[in-house]
Amino acid sequence: MEYIGEHIWAGELGRIAVAAALTSALLSVFAFWQAEKKPEWKPLGRIAFVVHAVSVFTIVGTLFFMMANHYFEYDYVWKHTSLDLPPRYLFSAFWEGQEGSFLLWMFWHAVLGLILLFTTKKWTGPVIGTIAAVQAFLSSMVLGVYVFGAKIGMSPFILVREMPENIGLPWTEFADYLTKFPSFLDGSGLNPLLQNYWMTIHPPTLFLGFASTIVPFAFAIGALLRKDYKGWIKPALPWAFFSVMILGTGILMGGAWAYEALSFGGFWAWDPVENSSLVPWLTMIAGAHLILIQKNRGGVLPSSFFLSILSFLLVLYSTFLTRSGVLGDSSVHAFVDLGLSGQLLIYLLFFVIFAFGLLIFRYKKIPKPKKEEAMNSREFWLFVGSMVFLLSSLQITISTSMPVFNQLFGPEGVWPLYEANKNIANPIEHFNSFQIPFAIIITALVAIGQYLTYRSTNTKAFYKKIMASSALSVVVSIIIALVFDFTNPIYILLIFTSSFAIIGNADYWLRVGKGNIKLAGSSIAHIGFGLVILGALISNGSKNIISQNSSFIHEEFPANENLLIEENDTVQMGEYWVTYTGERFGTGHESHYNYYGLEFYKENEQLALVHEFTLNPSIQKNERMGNVPEPDTRHFLSSDIYTHVTYADMRTPEEIKSEWQDEIEFALEKGEQKLIYDNIMVSLDSVMADARQNEDGTFAFIALAAQLSITGIADSIVHVTPLYVVQNNEASTMDAELLEYGLKFQLSGIDQQSNKPLLKAWRQKKEEQPFILIQAIIFPMINLLWAGCILMAIGTVIAIWQRVKGKKTSKI
Amino acid sequence: MKKTHIVLIIIVAVLIGAIMVMFKDAGTYAGFALAENNQGEEFTVIGYLDKDAEMHFNPKKTLFSFTATDKQGNVSKVYYNQPKPQDFERSEEITMKGFATDTAFIAHEILMKCPSKYNEQNEMAGNSDSYTE
Repeated sequence: MEYIGEHIWAGELGRIAVAAALTSALLSVFAFWQAEKKPEWKPLGRIAFVVHAVSVFTIVGTLFFMMANHYFEYDYVWKHTSLDLPPRYLFSAFWEGQEGSFLLWMFWHAVLGLILLFTTKKWTGPVIGTIAAVQAFLSSMVLGVYVFGAKIGMSPFILVREMPENIGLPWTEFADYLTKFPSFLDGSGLNPLLQNYWMTIHPPTLFLGFASTIVPFAFAIGALLRKDYKGWIKPALPWAFFSVMILGTGILMGGAWAYEALSFGGFWAWDPVENSSLVPWLTMIAGAHLILIQKNRGGVLPSSFFLSILSFLLVLYSTFLTRSGVLGDSSVHAFVDLGLSGQLLIYLLFFVIFAFGLLIFRYKKIPKPKKEEAMNSREFWLFVGSMVFLLSSLQITISTSMPVFNQLFGPEGVWPLYEANKNIANPIEHFNSFQIPFAIIITALVAIGQYLTYRSTNTKAFYKKIMASSALSVVVSIIIALVFDFTNPIYILLIFTSSFAIIGNADYWLRVGKGNIKLAGSSIAHIGFGLVILGALISNGSKNIISQNSSFIHEEFPANENLLIEENDTVQMGEYWVTYTGERFGTGHESHYNYYGLEFYKENEQLALVHEFTLNPSIQKNERMGNVPEPDTRHFLSSDIYTHVTYADMRTPEEIKSEWQDEIEFALEKGEQKLIYDNIMVSLDSVMADARQNEDGTFAFIALAAQLSITGIADSIVHVTPLYVVQNNEASTMDAELLEYGLKFQLSGIDQQSNKPLLKAWRQKKEEQPFILIQAIIFPMINLLWAGCILMAIGTVIAIWQRVKGKKTSKI
Repeated sequence: MKKTHIVLIIIVAVLIGAIMVMFKDAGTYAGFALAENNQGEEFTVIGYLDKDAEMHFNPKKTLFSFTATDKQGNVSKVYYNQPKPQDFERSEEITMKGFATDTAFIAHEILMKCPSKYNEQNEMAGNSDSYTE
């Protein structure tokens, strides 16, 4: 059958490009492998990789074109876009699904690979070969073919009618199904939760970060394969810091998204998906610093290899965690299982076994230092710092892997060790209990690291140099602790070490380094790191939930943090008076939002209320994920005021009013009176019956009517007549509504024992003032965190730029 | 002993500690029965909302109560000291973290799975009649 209106060519092009990407990647691996012995193979490897990159760009371009032109006959397009999707969210829609996010990852690998292809000289073969090998695996993830009944990959170029669940359905019999069935006229659209500007820049940045970990990995693997254990350090160094910079930026953008658009009540919640992006960053920081020591002083080759390899493997592991469905219940934003977990697991195991196997196999040959570093040398403490980063990332990995442990050792596991599946009861406390001590050690090392010199440090000079900054840090941290009311000694210690990291590095750069641009990079990045930790600690440690409600259900439970505000009412929250001005419906592209207006006032000296600002937290009517509250935040230089609606009755006033409630049932005798709802008198005046008999003597129908007199407060009497009908042996009632009284009556039958008519009554909800529950939190000093992020990125860029520039000048 | 060896030993020791603390900090997936036998202990119960039973939310006190049936079929009243989650009635499955008392299960965290309209594909597959004439 010839289907009408399908754009078959697009899918064909996409699928051909996927096949080309896979084969050219494999060819490139093979050619570069041969080229290690026979250099004449090298050009083929290069050409194959270029072909591969072009194929990847074609896949991405084709899919993007299909989405932009709304080819709804394709499943991926239908699932992730709709006609009314604003064009700026087309990117978010592209990587909403697993297939698209794999493509984004491959895209960055291809871009990085091309850059390396033209910038590396000696290392091109093993580095591009390794990248091409990874790309071959990734290409197969979007292949979408069945081999002996096993599904390999999931293609984004499948037509809806080709989806296994749709094959053979009646609608596929129509050649004009695209125009015939309304569901094909528009796609189901992008999840509204992702329709946020952060979602257009966070995923590509994060995926560039993930992709960038492949560069140090590829250098390390290449070096191990070639048995050239030292030559990779120099070219890999700027890439390792590039990776640190991009990954860090991507993760923090995710934090910003969570803070702006999700109702986590903060920017970090130790969510498994957040954790699995954080972990490779931590190991990459360790790896990059180890590569730096190795380049400057040597002696840490084994750990440089280990961490460069581990960072990439952790990226693979986090891919597995978030996409295999293992996380299932434990995370909000894990991808749905596409049935590819087996394939992902095989890839993960392949790379883990191959990479670590190679490292262990070559370990004996890797040059090791003859002499140990001195305890007072910079390299020793840099090494210790890197190991703390490693520990930090391993602790997060282990605890995030609880669902994996359950699959392995749980009751239904491969090797059952415990009887019931477990989960971390309180993740924030659990992770903080480890990560805060780690942060203390790290920031302390960041503070003093610059003052230590390679080989060995002159103790006297060292103390003299850090004297001023450490004394100043003590003063600053005492002030911070007092101002923000910190009493926990662990927190105060972290305030000190992170202030010391900031002040120490600033002091080092300006006083010792005399503001030299060559030292600027690392100093600025370290100041940024200190600010991130300090900002995170102050904004979270002394966050003030001003919407306090004193009721609680159990003494072990914290007092409630949600406050009720009725429309047009004003309540006090912290130093503010807040008025709820009512619900407003969004229009146009925002029609799926309900906004709740909050006016914030402050009392001035004359005790008059002065309007300060307005916030409009909202609830997104999200058909896929249920209704989702979205916060609104007022940013000040020194603090943020964050609000979100924790409860709102989303029904219309008519719906709320039309609900009958407080059902009561009673039997009444003729002439008897009954007082209901404290102020309504009901009396049964008479019961009337009507019936019609069939010819055979059975009843065609019986109808009973109860005539009731209702006396309200006003003493005026009204009459209602509810009916009870049995027709064809089926009973039904016709209820009488008395809307001016807000009452409804039903004759529900005859009481079997007393033979009295049984009546039921309901009343309407009393008109009540619309209300919402809100949570309002003050996050002090959260701008330190964002400023720190920006400084960290800028500092790292300067450091990389200095290295690359230095490399070029040294060549001349 | 070399310094790197000492560092390695410390790393291994901290990691073993981390695993032990993880199991100490872990709650257990269980049913209401086990939770009631170990009152006050932290459990995670996965269950379903009893849609016929009374469900009450007092916004003034922010106290939400409902009745849930766990996977073994045991029924318990649940109190939740937080606002009633949006679309709670629509939930297919509820994950409740908390502890049991004599009378009820006190949840401090509730996650729920909702059926999504997103499954229009399934609709197409299931109710194919509605798309044919």
